[in-house]
Amino acid sequence: MQFTSYAFIILWMFAFALYYLLPKKMQWYVLLIASVLFYVIGLKGFPLNLLLTGITTYCCGLYLKRNLTGEKDELIRCGDKESKKALKAAFQKKRKRVQIIYIVFNLGLLVFYKYAVIAVPVIERMTGSRAGFLENVMMPLGISFYTLTAISYVIDAGRENCEVETGFLKIILFLSYFPSVTQGPFNRFAQMKEQFEKEHVFRYDRMLFGIQRFVWGAFKKMVIADRLGIFVDGVYGAESSAVAGSIFICATVFYMLQLYADFSGYIDMAAGISETFDIVLPDNFKRPYFSKSVAEFWRRWHITLGTWFKDYVMFSFVMSGMGRKITKACKNKWNDIGRQITPIIGTMLVWFFTGIWHGRTVSYMLWGVYYGVIMSLSLILEPSFGVWKEKLHIRDGKVWSFVRMARTWLIVFLADVLIRSESLAQAGKVYGSFVTRLNIRGLFSSELTSYGLNKYEFVLLFVVLLIWLAVSLTEERGEDVRIYLSQRPVIVRWVCYYGIVVLLLITGIYGGGYDTAVFMYQSF
Amino acid sequence: MEEKILEILEEHCEEALDYNGESMMEDGIIDSFTVINVISDIEDEFDIEIDAKYVVAENFKNKEAIIALVRKLLEE
Repeated sequence: MQFTSYAFIILWMFAFALYYLLPKKMQWYVLLIASVLFYVIGLKGFPLNLLLTGITTYCCGLYLKRNLTGEKDELIRCGDKESKKALKAAFQKKRKRVQIIYIVFNLGLLVFYKYAVIAVPVIERMTGSRAGFLENVMMPLGISFYTLTAISYVIDAGRENCEVETGFLKIILFLSYFPSVTQGPFNRFAQMKEQFEKEHVFRYDRMLFGIQRFVWGAFKKMVIADRLGIFVDGVYGAESSAVAGSIFICATVFYMLQLYADFSGYIDMAAGISETFDIVLPDNFKRPYFSKSVAEFWRRWHITLGTWFKDYVMFSFVMSGMGRKITKACKNKWNDIGRQITPIIGTMLVWFFTGIWHGRTVSYMLWGVYYGVIMSLSLILEPSFGVWKEKLHIRDGKVWSFVRMARTWLIVFLADVLIRSESLAQAGKVYGSFVTRLNIRGLFSSELTSYGLNKYEFVLLFVVLLIWLAVSLTEERGEDVRIYLSQRPVIVRWVCYYGIVVLLLITGIYGGGYDTAVFMYQSF
Repeated sequence: MEEKILEILEEHCEEALDYNGESMMEDGIIDSFTVINVISDIEDEFDIEIDAKYVVAENFKNKEAIIALVRKLLEE
């Protein structure tokens, strides 16, 4: 059951009706039941692992609450500053120990499920016999998302940045909340708890806005992303040495847009569904292709994953005892350059983990390292960039902004070749094709239409991409398109609404051997 | 104390001094590298240790929030 299936729409409608008809105190139970039904029956997900994560998260939270209360009680009885400091350190040590055990256990499960598949052939090769039960291990749906979400709760609870939850079912709802369980965004407990516990009153405009966002997300997914995907799959699935470099460039640009339309489409659908229940999910995309640097790009793309790594890996490492020791030693030795060493190590760690979180292959690891190196270099070279800019008399303005945007696209483009290629060998051939057989004329020949999209499909793509660009530019100006439309005359408004729905129904990619059900980020 | 913090902010991120929005971190005025450098200088200047739990958007939403955080840590 995916968001685009009839079964899901029926589940959503039932949950929506019950949510506003039943007493307000029961609202979160409706969400819990809908989430469990969606996960267990709809997605045929493996609930035992989710349950195990839920139980360990709940127990760890309770331990942290007891520890923090104990610490406060003891501190009241404590007299001098030194003994208070020692007491705090002792309690903190115990908290950290339990948190580490919890994180190792849950990350261990994630790593086990994620890497069991690729471990099978290695084990079989090494032992010469079959890998037994490992062959049947299936990765539980959404594990990459709910594991990190659960870890954020446990760390925040230990840092006293969120209240510890004493109700087990609320933890389960937090982890399995159906709009975000499979692909995020990564919710934070403090924000979600407040919304789950609030009493929600039905509002027509909110329901309408939610449905509009859902339809817009489906449009991006089914009309844009899936159509781009046909061409991308066609080109990358062909014999690499026979494809012109210009066609690979076109396919990779399409892939950049496909990935964005697919994932942001899913997020729009999830946020739209959630909005109808008066629950706001955190922003996950802010038009990343308008970014003027790679750092800005990653502040606008999959925002909640970026902040997760920043808060729980980067800052945790830099502010840790080890991080501080490295900073101190490097600062003493190299002064200004030295102070950047710890952030650089933190950045490399973040990007290495981001790479392996996204995929199981060496390509993803290299993709992560590539971004880590670029971020680190930009940190080191930033002062020099300023000097060069001045020397070359470059002035800020539209042209310079566009150059910076184009530079960002190029960096993302090169990285995306790596993760879209089936193997490192193919990636090598694709990069090679840009140099050895660019053949620009290929773009204007019949070769372009031999990868699954005919010329009418290209025209349609051009039109829908223009619509998407117009919406993005409006949002970039700080306007909410839904509010903007709601203030237009009724005819304009409904022409736009019907236009998008009709385009979705007529030109959306349905069935026919091409599975619309699978969202790209679901496999991460 | 305030003057010292403003000096540190000026050195690492001048824009932060004139910022009047809701969140410097979310609006991209101050990135994670700058946050780390500002923290490092504040720690050296005031001989305090800023734990990772304080490095949240709320405590770095504007210059006043940073000053309030340092004041709180100095009082502890």
